[in-house]
Amino acid sequence: MSDLKGKVAIIGVGEVPTGKFPDRPCVESALRSARQAIGDAGIDKDLIDFLIPIGAVYSSAYNSDLVCSRIVEELGLKGVRGNAQVFSGGASCSTSLKTAAGLISAGIARVVLVVHSDKLGTGVSTQEGIDLFALAGISKEWEVPFGQHYSSIAGLVTTRYMFETGTTEEQVAAVVVSNRKWAELNPNAMIRKPTTVEEVLSSKVLSTPLHARESNVLADGGSAFIVTDAERAREWVEKPVYLLGDGSRVTHFCLSQEKDITRFGYREAAREAFGMAGLSTSDIDVAEVYDSYPVFEMIALEEMGFMERGESGAWFLEGRTWPGGELPVTTNGGMLSQGHTGAGGGMALLVEAVRQLKGQAGERQVQGARFAVLTSTGGAYVDAHVEILGTEVP
Amino acid sequence: METAKIPSKPLPQATPWSAPFWEAAKRGELKVQRCLDCGKPFFYPRIACPHCFSEDLEWVKLSGRGKIYSFSVVFNYAPSAFADDVPYVVAIVELEEGLRMLTNIVTDKPESLRCEMPVQVIFEPAGEDFVLPKFRPVDEA
Ligand SMILES: [Zn+2]
Repeated sequence: MSDLKGKVAIIGVGEVPTGKFPDRPCVESALRSARQAIGDAGIDKDLIDFLIPIGAVYSSAYNSDLVCSRIVEELGLKGVRGNAQVFSGGASCSTSLKTAAGLISAGIARVVLVVHSDKLGTGVSTQEGIDLFALAGISKEWEVPFGQHYSSIAGLVTTRYMFETGTTEEQVAAVVVSNRKWAELNPNAMIRKPTTVEEVLSSKVLSTPLHARESNVLADGGSAFIVTDAERAREWVEKPVYLLGDGSRVTHFCLSQEKDITRFGYREAAREAFGMAGLSTSDIDVAEVYDSYPVFEMIALEEMGFMERGESGAWFLEGRTWPGGELPVTTNGGMLSQGHTGAGGGMALLVEAVRQLKGQAGERQVQGARFAVLTSTGGAYVDAHVEILGTEVP
Repeated sequence: METAKIPSKPLPQATPWSAPFWEAAKRGELKVQRCLDCGKPFFYPRIACPHCFSEDLEWVKLSGRGKIYSFSVVFNYAPSAFADDVPYVVAIVELEEGLRMLTNIVTDKPESLRCEMPVQVIFEPAGEDFVLPKFRPVDEA
């Protein structure tokens, strides 16, 4: 694994604004994101020789178009040798990056375009979205019959995490505030209105102790990135963003079968990723941490070792993760503010990490950012992925 | 929330190898598989032992006693089929034998629930063909 360090790089990213866009066809989000990524890389579109369309969940008919190379034809890509879907829910950003790195390292592909779009904001009703996700990745035999769904999953994890660490409701709510501070500076984010701990805690309870404002909001969106080998990347672009470290664990399918729902696999994943990169948490300039609900952002940060267990709440509350803070965390606003576009929530964090490293993050730019960590997870938090990206190979 | 017709509850999508679990539940018994090679019990039912991969398995009855590992009381935006049930309690119960399962806690006092609280299995019919193992706090039994 460790010989992958610095061998591939992301050379371009693209993203359309996230939100409710009933008149924007889902495929348009994919095509515009892909065009942006190709433009950002500044390469001829026909150099792309492998396309990875991430799964879309709002429509199986649309998804089958993706599987059958619709994006290749719509973009008029002439040099594509393979089109293969990679899909592991919210972790698809990481698993597609791993797949692209493998294809490139093995000589099967040279330039891989990964593209995602979904239409969960307007392609389905609010209740349809809830019902869709009540079945997506939740055991139809052992959990669905008991009314398990994503709010109750987040509720179960938050309850146990608060019980074991003594974290307070205010500290959990502070994650929403922190992410919103960043979203205020992100023109592509869905929700940019400032908020407070009091406002979050006065929103209605979905599933204890989770409040409505602590839940992601389903949205329409699209994003894309392009990966190639380090040599080509240096030749083609000014600032390649290298994959320096990669680690992951798949820990369960049913939440009830996860051995520790207050930790998941982030510790092992981080040990692998940081070990491969030869870096420590103190080298990281910006942390793009998967946040579909506050508790998952807290757990991932602590398990990666950015602070002691149970201490992240104070960091979020005291502003140490906010713009201008010592550890900028989830700087696009995350799914709690940018919006949740299915697998796109993780994709958006990858795109944001690359923008930060390339100095393209506008008002929320973390000055001089060289190294970023990205986490992602899919389904009922079945896996934990940690990637380290950087503009130099240490 | 809309007042549309509430769809019927999703019933367990059982497998041939889980049938003995559901049959036992109908008789008011909580049963799991145990591996005859490595000796470990496991939940949920599998075609082979998830520890040593042996297919040599037996069914054993559990005590039905356990404690709450975690819980969440659902108040809003439940799945459609559960809209009439709110508030209801989703919980992960850790059984005496060390196994965990997702279930519901049946209680009149959801505000009194705590992690590590002792619970005892009860059985509730779901449709005509299934009985679901749920739990009740021991002090409410
Ligand atoms: Zn065994």
